[in-house]
Amino acid sequence: MNRQEQGTTLFTALLALVGVGVIVQLWLLSASVDALFRHDSGTPLHAAIASGVLFLINAALLLYLFGFDKRLRRP
Amino acid sequence: MPNDEKCKDCPGCDKKETRWREDFPVQWDKDEYVTRREMVKFLSLGSLLIAGANFIAASVPHLQRAGKFPKMKIASVDQIAAGDSQLFRYPTDEDPCILVRDRAGDLVAYSQVCTHLSCAVVHRPEENTLFCPCHHGYFSVEEGRPTAGPPTRPLPRIKLQQSGNDIYAIGIEV
Repeated sequence: MNRQEQGTTLFTALLALVGVGVIVQLWLLSASVDALFRHDSGTPLHAAIASGVLFLINAALLLYLFGFDKRLRRP
Repeated sequence: MPNDEKCKDCPGCDKKETRWREDFPVQWDKDEYVTRREMVKFLSLGSLLIAGANFIAASVPHLQRAGKFPKMKIASVDQIAAGDSQLFRYPTDEDPCILVRDRAGDLVAYSQVCTHLSCAVVHRPEENTLFCPCHHGYFSVEEGRPTAGPPTRPLPRIKLQQSGNDIYAIGIEV
């Protein structure tokens, strides 16, 4: 596998990871809203913490992508 | 330009070129192309927005609790006999609640919304329980905690205050 193919595979995997993270966040949000209607105050807090952690993971992956692009453009 | 001229963007296409496309030329194939990088950036922004929405959803119950509950007369002591129950709404007309006088004569009140799937619970004096007919959930009258069936969380308890012959609801304990 050449470097370009490796890069394509890497970015596809990265995109899939971020996509799965966002889907899990959407599920957490729907669970939170459902809990709110049931007057359950504990579940939305835990869902918010989990959602925040997922966002941090997504942000770290995005930063990795920016770093990768910066290294590529370096002469 | 005549209207019957062929579209130049896609070679095999039979579409007629329209005037506005000629006046505002755009490279449609490049314009509609989304790279993986752009998609990751878009999803990360979406992730931030969803996390924000989740934190807002988590703060709603705390903000609601910060607002004071009104003091509302819900019944009179002589209206409700031992082992009897009465329905009322508190703090708004959208919140059904149940006031129960147990066999010992103590007054307790709970939200009538079952903590399983939000059906209305009813009082069963013969078993001294609150019963949810949808999925056969049982709650104790004394504490509102689930004793049988699918519910796992207790019913929210309405704080009561007795003043003379009148019973007032003054708050909710979740």
